[in-house]
Amino acid sequence: MSHTKTLSLPERLGLVSYRNQAKSEIKPHIIVNTDICNTVCPHKCTTYVCPANCYTMDDKGMVHFQVEDCIECGTCMYACDQGAVDWNFPDPEIGRGVTWNFG
Amino acid sequence: MDEKFDCIIVGAGVAGLAAAMTLARNNMKFLLIEKGEFPGSKNVSGGVLWGSDLAKLVPNYWEEDAGWDRFINHRRLTFMDDQSTFSVDFKSSHFNQTPYTGVVVLRSKFDRWLAEKVEEAIAESDYAMDSFIATNILVEEVLMEDGKAVGIRTGEEKFYADSVIIAEGVNNLLTRQVGLQDSYVPADHMLTGIKEIIRFDQNVLEDRFQLNGRSGMSNEFVGFATDGVEGGGFLYTNKDTLSLGLVLGLKDLREKGKKPYDILNTFKKHPVISDMIQGGEVVEYSAHIVSSGDKRVMPKKLHTHGLVVCGEAANLLMNAGKAIQGMDYAMRSGILAAETIVENKKTDDFSESAMKKYQNRLDDSYVMKDINNFQDAVHLLHDPVMTQKIPNLICDFGRNFFSIKNEPTKKAREMMSDSIKEHASYWELLKLGVKGGKAL
Repeated sequence: MSHTKTLSLPERLGLVSYRNQAKSEIKPHIIVNTDICNTVCPHKCTTYVCPANCYTMDDKGMVHFQVEDCIECGTCMYACDQGAVDWNFPDPEIGRGVTWNFG
Repeated sequence: MDEKFDCIIVGAGVAGLAAAMTLARNNMKFLLIEKGEFPGSKNVSGGVLWGSDLAKLVPNYWEEDAGWDRFINHRRLTFMDDQSTFSVDFKSSHFNQTPYTGVVVLRSKFDRWLAEKVEEAIAESDYAMDSFIATNILVEEVLMEDGKAVGIRTGEEKFYADSVIIAEGVNNLLTRQVGLQDSYVPADHMLTGIKEIIRFDQNVLEDRFQLNGRSGMSNEFVGFATDGVEGGGFLYTNKDTLSLGLVLGLKDLREKGKKPYDILNTFKKHPVISDMIQGGEVVEYSAHIVSSGDKRVMPKKLHTHGLVVCGEAANLLMNAGKAIQGMDYAMRSGILAAETIVENKKTDDFSESAMKKYQNRLDDSYVMKDINNFQDAVHLLHDPVMTQKIPNLICDFGRNFFSIKNEPTKKAREMMSDSIKEHASYWELLKLGVKGGKAL
């Protein structure tokens, strides 16, 4: 019915310009206490509401966080009602984060 | 740098740049700090800048090719079910007059251009060598002494000023640090915005959307667009790209267990949207949080001793059904903040009561008047009856009304009654009608 070819999330994130992309060591701007996610959190919502899928769930249902694809939207800071997300902006020199080409 | 500024502005988005322009024109000595590589590099918006305040900041901006993308003379509000769309469509050459009442902008380009205009204003001011726009600097703390904001800290460095304007955007960490907003803001009145920029041959885009010269169209969607989640969709024509996206109620998204990018794919595959974006190439995917316009999520107050908060940091954004307004609120609040500081500088009084004049100015402006007046409309738009049942009902009616069969045709009133029975109840509509009547 539809003739639209939609992109997968990795294809979409492939279009994002990240800063300090060449640096192997970056300072994460978000610190997640996944112990909270994996013990008391009833919904583990960051694993589906994050627009960049920085929060993933493994086969055993455990939550993991990777900062590299983060596009600094802020969604997780509001979505997490368990106090597991310590959210900051990336450091311009040693952090990651985005530079939008269109915005 | 030991010298003290009249003002430090945090954030070179629309609010911060509007404030900076106003300060420069009034010969104030200021420092505007931006965390991104250049102004606009960290900003995402839908986005239409509504109203005509831009013409006050940059007179005759429309004579320039740079900065803005298109002016809006064509508005469309679309109700959507899984197969159909039913639109209210308004286009008028009335909107071709300058100053335009809405321009589509892409922030990475627009903010950078506006910052160049601010640089020009600085160069013409008394502080051509002493006022700065500094990029690539993250402000980590507002320095407070005896309850008064006295400057900011970035890393080990401190900068001091008589006043601080917080224009840091919706993720307002500094506003929280100084205690004007709670340290945790719940998801209840926040929405996640996601967007694709889709590129076309410019002629194709102009033909497809009947654009003439720099004219453009804005289209908002309610219903199937968000796949059962509260919120809506939007489509704006840029110069040779489309901005296509969704705003999704974050609490509802959490409860329904849906992924925003999956919903965007469902939206793009809708037959009507599919026809609109056919042949385009996605060149950027972005996301950003926005507030709903519900006053309950606004900071407790927007000023303290030596400090004011503007733009989205103050959650000045509203969608009351007519348009998604945010950048125009940011621009006006930035101007009003700067005007307050210019006035306070004359008496060298930056006390809490002196800074409160900003709040008073904002309350007297269309920004807070509209936010206060249209709270019921904001609530109504986030009612599931409005975001799901009504669009289905309207599209069902449209399908019946526009179907010509070789059999006796029912009267429209009867068709409407059938559609209501199918998708909602008279009681729900009655409630909605009463609420809507009061709200709009």
